[in-house]
Amino acid sequence: MKFKSQRVAYLFFATSLLLFSLQIVYGFIMGFAHLGFDVLHDVIPFNVARTTHLNLLVVWLLSGFMGATYFIVPEEADRELYSEKLAVVQWAALVIVGVIAIIGFHLNYWEGRKFLEIPRPLDYLVVVDVLLFLFNVGMTAWNGKRFTTTGSVLLVGLVAAALLYLPGMITFESQVLDSYFRWWVVHLWVEGVWELIMGGILSFLLIKLTGVDREVIEKWLYVIVGFTFLSGILGTGHHYYYIGTPEYWLLVGGVFSALEPLAFLGMALYAVTMARRGGMSHPNRIALFWTVGCGIMSFVGAGFLGFAHTLPQVNLWTHGTIITAMHGHMAFWGAYAMLVLAIISYTMPLMTGRKLFTGWVPEWAFWTSNIGMLGMTGAFAVAGIAQVYMERKIGMDFLAVQEAIEVHFGGVLLAACLLTLGIAMFIWNFIQYGLPKEEAMAAEHLRHAA
Amino acid sequence: MLSKSQARLFFIGGTCFFSAIFLGLTFHTLGQVDARQNLDLLTAEVARGKEIWDSNNCMGCHTILGEGAYYAPELTQVVKRRGKEWISIFLRDPQAMFPGKRRMVQYDFSDEQIGDVIAFLDWIGKIDTNGFPPEPDLAMAPSLVVQASAQTSAPPAYFQQVCIACHSVGGTGGSVGPALDGVGSRLTAPELDRWLADPPAVKPGTAMPNLNLPDATRAELVNWLSGLR
Repeated sequence: MKFKSQRVAYLFFATSLLLFSLQIVYGFIMGFAHLGFDVLHDVIPFNVARTTHLNLLVVWLLSGFMGATYFIVPEEADRELYSEKLAVVQWAALVIVGVIAIIGFHLNYWEGRKFLEIPRPLDYLVVVDVLLFLFNVGMTAWNGKRFTTTGSVLLVGLVAAALLYLPGMITFESQVLDSYFRWWVVHLWVEGVWELIMGGILSFLLIKLTGVDREVIEKWLYVIVGFTFLSGILGTGHHYYYIGTPEYWLLVGGVFSALEPLAFLGMALYAVTMARRGGMSHPNRIALFWTVGCGIMSFVGAGFLGFAHTLPQVNLWTHGTIITAMHGHMAFWGAYAMLVLAIISYTMPLMTGRKLFTGWVPEWAFWTSNIGMLGMTGAFAVAGIAQVYMERKIGMDFLAVQEAIEVHFGGVLLAACLLTLGIAMFIWNFIQYGLPKEEAMAAEHLRHAA
Repeated sequence: MLSKSQARLFFIGGTCFFSAIFLGLTFHTLGQVDARQNLDLLTAEVARGKEIWDSNNCMGCHTILGEGAYYAPELTQVVKRRGKEWISIFLRDPQAMFPGKRRMVQYDFSDEQIGDVIAFLDWIGKIDTNGFPPEPDLAMAPSLVVQASAQTSAPPAYFQQVCIACHSVGGTGGSVGPALDGVGSRLTAPELDRWLADPPAVKPGTAMPNLNLPDATRAELVNWLSGLR
């Protein structure tokens, strides 16, 4: 850690991991409900569990991105954060909004719009919170000694993500328009500007972990995010097949979302090539594991599994089935969850001055959680394919189909136990690191001086 | 070889170009969409129905237009599939309709609210969705043997809207309650009448709810069911 104020990232990372754990708990509630044990129905009915599960995901990832940004921007701008106090205030505001939202969901206080369930008054608080955040990192960059491509791509991604939150706050009487603009937020986030954030963070990690020349890494960063927008913007069309929008979206969405895997393939090749070029010699091998793993798994989950059901001929049958859950789990895990875990793995030794990245705990955390997620994805795939054939192709009754595929949720839950074990080990490792220390900074300065 | 400034140009140029196309298509879509969604049919009732739909987060379990969660049925064509009568009975007490099965939250909607929800779902079902949800293309035709045991006269409208959700005749219908083929030779007309008037009174603990059928409807059903021999 070069600058004292970078330690504020710790708050965000700790919050991330706490919310991630809660997300897993709600996932189990849903898994058991699908298995036929909806024992919590009277207290936490499925829609509460589901909404909480999704929103916890969004908030813990955003918290992770914010933490990453507070760490990366001072380093790239080569100065302390504009205001560390403001960052703490902003963190507290984020936590308050999150807690109110989660409690609200349990009291039927929400908007029933998938991924954007946070009620409108809280949306305004989110806006204030994000403005505080952007002001703080923006001022840091503005007053910085230098500003790099990595930092710029990250900041452009964050500003664009904030702007794209706004179309989700417009009220529509028509479900069609409501849905149309809801996807401006959801799709253009995860298959658009979040990939800029991902690209920025990956690029930072690769520069630090591989020792490959910054110019080379940043050049390819531009190419990859170029492909992201080339395919991702019009790729929004794959959400406009069947919601009442004109037929040409079938063609536009089909063609451009078929190109979307290219951006993720780029991410994977980028991570693997740079890591190989650097010789995998960085002592923090586990951070490199998560970084390269993020590139590869994002291609598998977001790129390959997304492509598996994005063409209109296929999507006509799979739209609105468990196939979507199959793709969703692996995509968010690979592209964004692993990214946050990568930046945490990289920064913790620097913030605390302790080198706890060796040994079996962090390594097993990596493998166990990844194998668990692969298993879950497989179980979802089997359940989803069976559902599509029985319900959509043959026309069996919904509940009869759900009973027939119940058994696969046993598979989902078993694999989820592995994932949970892996994440528990990751968190145990995180706790062992302890809090950020000023001595860690001194050590870094000594190393730089030498 | 590609230089960094060329790569940057590719990123900025591509993003601007495709954003412009996207905005253009959005503009065109907004012009087309009113006709496709039948804006003239979007009444105050429908708008209130959407409000109820949103504020209770129905999408947290169901999908409409294929969007939402995958725990409860797709509802885009539910009015066509189930009929308004069935939906209004169902919404009054969702758990009574599929006893022992996956549960829906009991919302205690008023009759007016139920009407609004149905109006909303009816409006959704009329949107031009480019063919979603598709008709099952591997559906099996009901077997001829079973069909032979069925009534020759057409079933009453109520039967086709409500009873069929749980009971089957001739191989079509639900599987929650027993198949009704030949029920006319198992039960007499007075027995059927007593049963339909209040099932739990005849057999405590039965899964079939008391549907509070009007006398005329009950007589019609008894008459038709007696003919199933």
